[in-house]
Amino acid sequence: MEQPVQTETWKARSLEELVRILHQIFAEDKVSVEEVQALMESYETNPEEWLKYAKFDQYRYTRNLVDSGNGKFNLMILCWGEGHGSSIHDHTDSHCFMKILQGNLKETLFEWPEKKGNGEMTKKSERVLRENQCAYINDSIGLHRVENISHTETAVSLHLYSPPFDTCNTFDQRTGHKHKVTMTFYSQYGERTVC
Amino acid sequence: LPAGLSQWFPALEVLDVSGTGLTEMGAELLSLPCLHTLLAKNNRLGGPGSLPKGLGQAPLARSLRVLNLSGNRFADVPPMLLRLRGLRSLSLGGNRLHSIPPDIQELCSLEFLYLGGNFITSIPPELAKLPSLKYLVLCDNKIQSIPPQLAQLHSLRSLSLHNNLLTYLPREILNLVHLEELSLRGNPLVVRFVRDLTYNPPSLQELAGRTVKTRNVPYAPSDLPETLVRYLSLASNCPNPKCGGVYFDSCVRQIKFVDFCGKYRLPLMHYLCSPECSSPFSSASQSSTSQSESDSEDEASVAAHRMQKVLLG
Repeated sequence: MEQPVQTETWKARSLEELVRILHQIFAEDKVSVEEVQALMESYETNPEEWLKYAKFDQYRYTRNLVDSGNGKFNLMILCWGEGHGSSIHDHTDSHCFMKILQGNLKETLFEWPEKKGNGEMTKKSERVLRENQCAYINDSIGLHRVENISHTETAVSLHLYSPPFDTCNTFDQRTGHKHKVTMTFYSQYGERTVC
Repeated sequence: LPAGLSQWFPALEVLDVSGTGLTEMGAELLSLPCLHTLLAKNNRLGGPGSLPKGLGQAPLARSLRVLNLSGNRFADVPPMLLRLRGLRSLSLGGNRLHSIPPDIQELCSLEFLYLGGNFITSIPPELAKLPSLKYLVLCDNKIQSIPPQLAQLHSLRSLSLHNNLLTYLPREILNLVHLEELSLRGNPLVVRFVRDLTYNPPSLQELAGRTVKTRNVPYAPSDLPETLVRYLSLASNCPNPKCGGVYFDSCVRQIKFVDFCGKYRLPLMHYLCSPECSSPFSSASQSSTSQSESDSEDEASVAAHRMQKVLLG
């Protein structure tokens, strides 16, 4: 993505429309981060539209593919049970947009560890994202951990990654050591993926 | 709860009264024979009368499968709750619990137990007597240690311990064969090898007991006072595979690091019968770190097979 020549102000009135506009935007050579973030924020969450993708797992958060963006992006819905959280991870040189559809998610930003890091990773900041808010991150900004810190409410988030990726690195907060992992989908297009 | 509930809805299976400001749930619950799911989160329950008297005798005691009382004001687990013998899933997340009652073992059908976000400081070993427990959440509490007996939870698939006060784990945790998820972040886990600092020399009773056990000195209950017979039965085997020794109260605590799946190094607490009881290397002037690493090789390969996902960082 490069700096845009002109940016539109979109309003997605439904999830379907959001997907349609995303296809339109990503068909261009140049896509603006601000444009995509504004578009994602403009969609007002409506559970009726995404409930079929929101499949929860008892033990950990799930990734449910909604749209594969003609290979340009992946749009997915993540479902977080009470107390579920991710490891600290990077984004494999891709752009990552995260919009809250239900509940709240805490995002903690970390600095990249030193090359031969052997100390506690440095926390940069943390914030709690509310319904309809959309956050953005990429590897040059840093690493993050996302978690549902509520013990009573579940959370649902809409993620857009461009270009799509299925491996990333997870980091041990105490040592900065990284480990490559492959991510899988719990469901695709509303159908449970059998592993 | 409205009076007459069971008359209007005698076949009620799922009742959700979350977020209604309830301070107590009364006898109206007792005559709902089909109720299997009761959701009462985010209320003001916790005082006396939160649960109706006679709960243990009601059909509910056998029929209720799911109970969610998260986000209330429970300072202890009401004893009445432990009569729900059919319960599969219990959530008391986000309450004010300071402890878990040992009688929790009475919930023999329990598969899912959520106790995150309380003020719990310790875990009773009786928790390990829940044979079907698959998912145990203890995150966001004040827990300082895990009883080794928890390794008896052979159905456990997921254990959430993040944001507590743990400095090490019992080595028995390696025995949890089906454990796939383990979260430990936000604990002050020791990162460097810790040499045991205090070792109280064994008492004469302990030395005698060790000899009886390791030399297989025969004895019968008629030979010894009952207290000593019981004492001898409490002998623990030294976990050092190269030592056949036993210990009673006097042991060396040693933290060793075990690599999980080659990814993370977890500090595990080992109890050894004496400071001399280690690998054959101990007599040489081997540095303590390399000794711990060589000993942990065997355990690491075992652990690699068993633990698949350890969420540490």
